[in-house]
Amino acid sequence: MADRLGAPAAGGDDAGSTSRGPGRVLVALYGVFALAAGARAAVQLATQFDEAPVAYLLSAFSAVVYLVATVGLARGGRSGRRTAVVACGVELVGVLVVGTLSLVDPAAFPDATVWSGFGQGYGFIPLALPVLGLLWLRHLGELERDRPASP
Amino acid sequence: MNTPLVALATVAALVVAALGGLSTVLRRRTGLAHLVAAGVLEAVLLVQSAVVVVALAGGERPPETATFLAYLVSVVLVPVAGVLWSRTEPTRWAGTVLAVAALVVAVMVWRLLQLWEATGG
Repeated sequence: MADRLGAPAAGGDDAGSTSRGPGRVLVALYGVFALAAGARAAVQLATQFDEAPVAYLLSAFSAVVYLVATVGLARGGRSGRRTAVVACGVELVGVLVVGTLSLVDPAAFPDATVWSGFGQGYGFIPLALPVLGLLWLRHLGELERDRPASP
Repeated sequence: MNTPLVALATVAALVVAALGGLSTVLRRRTGLAHLVAAGVLEAVLLVQSAVVVVALAGGERPPETATFLAYLVSVVLVPVAGVLWSRTEPTRWAGTVLAVAALVVAVMVWRLLQLWEATGG
């Protein structure tokens, strides 16, 4: 039975990379959100731009941020991580600002974005993702400081 | 497009997600059980797509056709991508990657049903 559930895993808890181990889970989640937000923004901008331009442009912006974060996390390395940190930071600020504004002034957001209500429509994953991303990137940074030989 | 089929897909997706989570907890990679479960899920999704294509050919159109078709195509690809990606992951997180894909499918099928049922209303 044990082998049907898969061979024993290699490595320890993680492989210390953005594209392996738990990092791959993050990349998968970010990829899904990049696609979801991007597709949504494309449809909204193409078919009903006039109805709520601010919300739709925000959707498009969030899609770009998710895409940058996905690429940064997937590429890894020093520059990939730095890119991902910036993207996750922008994302966290975005979800907090848009989340707050959408509750304080609902009229400004006639149609929902990924970040409305702190990502309510998406199970609050948009709020959790940047926090997890930043924690993971910090963990990787600490790993690298302990082990400066790795490229 | 009907609710029983969506419910079946959801159950299959949750089984895949549970198996994925289990192998992460047990510190294992993904194995035969995951492949079979994901295969069942994919089969249910393909049956659903066939049902939808027949209905579309019969002249039924959901209001947001473009969005609906995008969901229809992506939902079939997600388990495939999840399996391929988890097979190449050597750490115990392979199962979690597959579980994420399965949960995404579970959400997407209900959204798909929602988009479809907007037809009559």
